[in-house]
Amino acid sequence: MMSAVMEQRPSAMQRAMEGDADSFAMLIDPLLNPAYRLAAVMLSDRMAAEDAVQEASVKAWRNLRQLRGDESSLRAWFLSIVANECRMTRRRRWWSVVKSAEVESERRSDAPSQEALTDLRRALARLGPDERLPLVLYFYLDLPLDEVARTLRVSQSAAKSRIYRAARRLRSDLTLEEVS
Amino acid sequence: MSKDFRRDLNREFDSISGSPSPALSARVRVALAENRPSRTGPFWMAGLAAGLIAAIVVGVLVVASFNRHQTSVLPGTAPTPSAAPSASPSASPTASPSASPSPVATPTSNLPAFVCGVNTSLSPQQAPLSAYVSDVRTGTHAGYDRITITFTDGLPGSISLKPQNSATFASGGGQGGNVTIAGQAGILVTMSSADEHTSYTGPTDLKTGYAVLAEARQIQDFEGYVQWALGLQSPACYRAFTLANPTRLVIDIQSS
Repeated sequence: MMSAVMEQRPSAMQRAMEGDADSFAMLIDPLLNPAYRLAAVMLSDRMAAEDAVQEASVKAWRNLRQLRGDESSLRAWFLSIVANECRMTRRRRWWSVVKSAEVESERRSDAPSQEALTDLRRALARLGPDERLPLVLYFYLDLPLDEVARTLRVSQSAAKSRIYRAARRLRSDLTLEEVS
Repeated sequence: MSKDFRRDLNREFDSISGSPSPALSARVRVALAENRPSRTGPFWMAGLAAGLIAAIVVGVLVVASFNRHQTSVLPGTAPTPSAAPSASPSASPTASPSASPSPVATPTSNLPAFVCGVNTSLSPQQAPLSAYVSDVRTGTHAGYDRITITFTDGLPGSISLKPQNSATFASGGGQGGNVTIAGQAGILVTMSSADEHTSYTGPTDLKTGYAVLAEARQIQDFEGYVQWALGLQSPACYRAFTLANPTRLVIDIQSS
């Protein structure tokens, strides 16, 4: 009797778990861009951000067996490693305390009024890296709340509270209902 | 959420981050190829690691023991110039266990004197955007009980201590209500530009049962304000000062 079960090719995640670096590189390749953006905003330093992403990638690779869940859990897990790497980078480089100068970069023709933008920029520069983190995850990377929570390693309500708290420092008239 | 807010915010984030270098992906691939995941090593490596860890643990215990016997002045440190508390008469009607705001004890070391029933405020000269609490510890010593709050990224913007004649404190964070902790008196410690939820994962309620410091409980960690309520067995004199390496706030409550 012929077997009805066809042999399946192992998934990229399975191959990565077995030590295949190319498979792991393929898995995290789509995550490098959001990881870089997260790191760049946390560190306010583009070169340091790329270094942090590279280092985080290696750490994720070395500790892949600690990943709980399947491939769908990879993004939040990887971004949390990137965020940790950024914190370590900041600790190593004490002089990098909020290098807000890079905020003063290129301007676009469709930019909002100079005054409004300056207020937001100033408010943003006053936020610490860990206050920027929930904003980046939720607004910039457009992660759903449950993934923001997993990245921050807190409950969803705590994640929502952090987003709200940080956003209110940028816009004081914000209501909790708007962060949902 | 206003679309304008999201759009403006993302525009700012865009201007900060720009785009990653096109070489980032290749750079990561090379780094991955050079760094294989760790595998289970030979048994001799496990033995070596165990021996190393044991040596470190013994070293830490020896140092900790040494520190415990030398705590009237913390080892290798002295209060920073900004650490001397500026005692001022209390404005609070509940904060006067003693009629005299003057120091009642002169320590034999170079630590500040104990003060009784008066508010104390410390204002670090160069406060960071946010001082992250990384550790909170309590201990009991001859003549005083101590709580130490350790920070990363520097000291909070301001630190105030307010003694009171009860162990009931107003709950912080706009939650309303009161919090009653162990003891018959208390000291409210308020730190601005501080953050206890990012780096600190330890307990937020320490029931000590010491001679004077009965309990220490965090009652606020919201919008840059961190408050700890200290429950005392009875009104007591105290001293507060900051130390460096690591950056920390030390509060001693006199027990005899």
